[in-house]
Amino acid sequence: MTAPKAVNPGRRKFTTGVAVAAVAPTMFWIKKAAAAEQVIVRTPGGVFDDVKKETIYDPFRKETGIEVVPVAATTAKLMAMMKSGQNELDLIDTGDSTLLELEKSNYLMPINYDEFKYTNPADIDPVVKRKYQVGCFIYAMVLGFNTKAIPVGTEPKSWAEFWDLKKFPGRRTLPDMASGTPSLEFALIADGVPMDKLYPLDIDRAFKSMSRIRSAIPKFWDTGALSSTMLADNEVSMGALWSTRAAVAIDQGAPLGIQWNQNALLAQAYGIPVGAKNLANAKKFIDYSSTPEAQARWLAKYKAIPVNTKAYGATSRDLIDPATKTPWTKSKGFLLDINWWADNRQKVGQYWSKWIIG
Amino acid sequence: MTVKKSRKFSDATVFILPAVLLLALVFVGPLIWFFIQALASVGTPAEMLSYAWTIITSKAVVTALMTTNWISLMVTLLVLLISYPLACYLANNQGMRFTLVLFCIVVPYFTSIIVRTYSWMVLLGRNGIINQVLLYLGVINEPLALLYTKTGILIGMVYVLLPYMVLTLFATMKAIDPSLMRAARGLGASGFYAFTRIYFPLSVHGVVSGSLIVFILSIGFFITPALMGGPSDVMIAMLIERSVEIMFDWSGAAIMSLLLLFATLVLYGIYYRVTDVRRMMGA
Repeated sequence: MTAPKAVNPGRRKFTTGVAVAAVAPTMFWIKKAAAAEQVIVRTPGGVFDDVKKETIYDPFRKETGIEVVPVAATTAKLMAMMKSGQNELDLIDTGDSTLLELEKSNYLMPINYDEFKYTNPADIDPVVKRKYQVGCFIYAMVLGFNTKAIPVGTEPKSWAEFWDLKKFPGRRTLPDMASGTPSLEFALIADGVPMDKLYPLDIDRAFKSMSRIRSAIPKFWDTGALSSTMLADNEVSMGALWSTRAAVAIDQGAPLGIQWNQNALLAQAYGIPVGAKNLANAKKFIDYSSTPEAQARWLAKYKAIPVNTKAYGATSRDLIDPATKTPWTKSKGFLLDINWWADNRQKVGQYWSKWIIG
Repeated sequence: MTVKKSRKFSDATVFILPAVLLLALVFVGPLIWFFIQALASVGTPAEMLSYAWTIITSKAVVTALMTTNWISLMVTLLVLLISYPLACYLANNQGMRFTLVLFCIVVPYFTSIIVRTYSWMVLLGRNGIINQVLLYLGVINEPLALLYTKTGILIGMVYVLLPYMVLTLFATMKAIDPSLMRAARGLGASGFYAFTRIYFPLSVHGVVSGSLIVFILSIGFFITPALMGGPSDVMIAMLIERSVEIMFDWSGAAIMSLLLLFATLVLYGIYYRVTDVRRMMGA
């Protein structure tokens, strides 16, 4: 050791400790990277990952020897990563709108359905089978309500009723612009626009319609957690929220009900970023996790609708319309047009900024 | 002489170098990169300026700036009002009392801000504990709108920012020689008179620097107002986040961030002038 004798051992110990603490995570990372074949996936994290690890990642590793490494990243971080050419991801697991934005900036590679070995591409719901992204599950923006405040069966059955403050008094919530997609579609439906003639959205009319119930909305939600918390705490008695969020809250015992009429279909999806280092593994992972078996195993625990139509049989019964034996999104929903939103989000955002303070 | 001086200089430089490098590498560099990337996409400098002007003068940004300033000012005043007596108590007590109060102030500081904010939401909601108790006691007939209002933001932010003020004030007050107060009293000054003429003037630079810290932190606040505020309580940091995350309008976000950064630097400049930083650090 060349260290001067004057340094007391306590301090040296401390310094060494700091040095180890600083280097340790990197060592861990390198060790992990060198371990085996892997695929680095951006995921939403949290409960989502816990369930997916058990039902998809672990079986996938057993089957192929490829380890799935989940990484958290916000949309802005993804954009920054791609913009600076510092992509460290092999696969992005996120909302269909975000993937579309990445696609428009030429940051995604096409999905090669022809190379699928585990899954028959024909089984994938065409609604989420796109050139640059493929759905991993389907969910919806639905009308949710607190069952203690509004007993099941007496809830509003349409957005027109949701907008009717006289017939259904009480506080409500709707998504904020910060959630990405405020409920302009529901506002238009409530105002009399038929579900199949929504697009292109009449922004002006939609905001006028929202103004009619603004007084009953104490808070627009920006994150999914807030929407279900407000409903569960009866801070609001009804609101528009993601079906997956509602399902998680219901499973935890919250008094929440879902009315599926006029729901807006959304998808969580996979996209492969340009520059993916483990490209083959990413493709294999998409292929594997789209099989009816993997979808059934996963989505029995995480309450969402499979993209593989062969997996409907194993889907949670809450998600299937008993009248048609198809998912509620098919029987009662409409497809949220992410292309319209990608083209108009900035315009809506500017409109929103003025409307919200006015 | 000169050799010794330069060695002294280089010694100090060596110690500060890692911090400066780290800051340059992970903060200043990326910041400049972001601004250049974001603004370059607008076009020529003239276009950039006119774009910046449109953004800064837009109703949304002006209103957000006013809201931000108003909330930050109120938070600073409230924090000061609560912290001053607390810090005074801490500076003049030892042993268990000191430890206990300090513990209560500092421990929440180490808890995640999101957890603390959600806890407040449980307490303040329409069906929250506070409203339940007040309704039960008959103090109120209808739940108070504590959450999703400016009141909610103030409560949440005051709570989060309290330790910064208390600790700053405590450092100043601890340095006040207690014999000065005793002398004043001994010479016949009333307690109030001694406080206003001796103690408070001596503590005033702590008040100024504490207030500046709290104000600086307030204008960039995001989580608490986003979660606890009402629909129209939009602070500038929330606008920036929305521009980056949702609308991918990085140029707009960059302009608003520059505005916020500028305000912060100006305030920090004042802070640096007013406060003897070395004394604050206990040197």
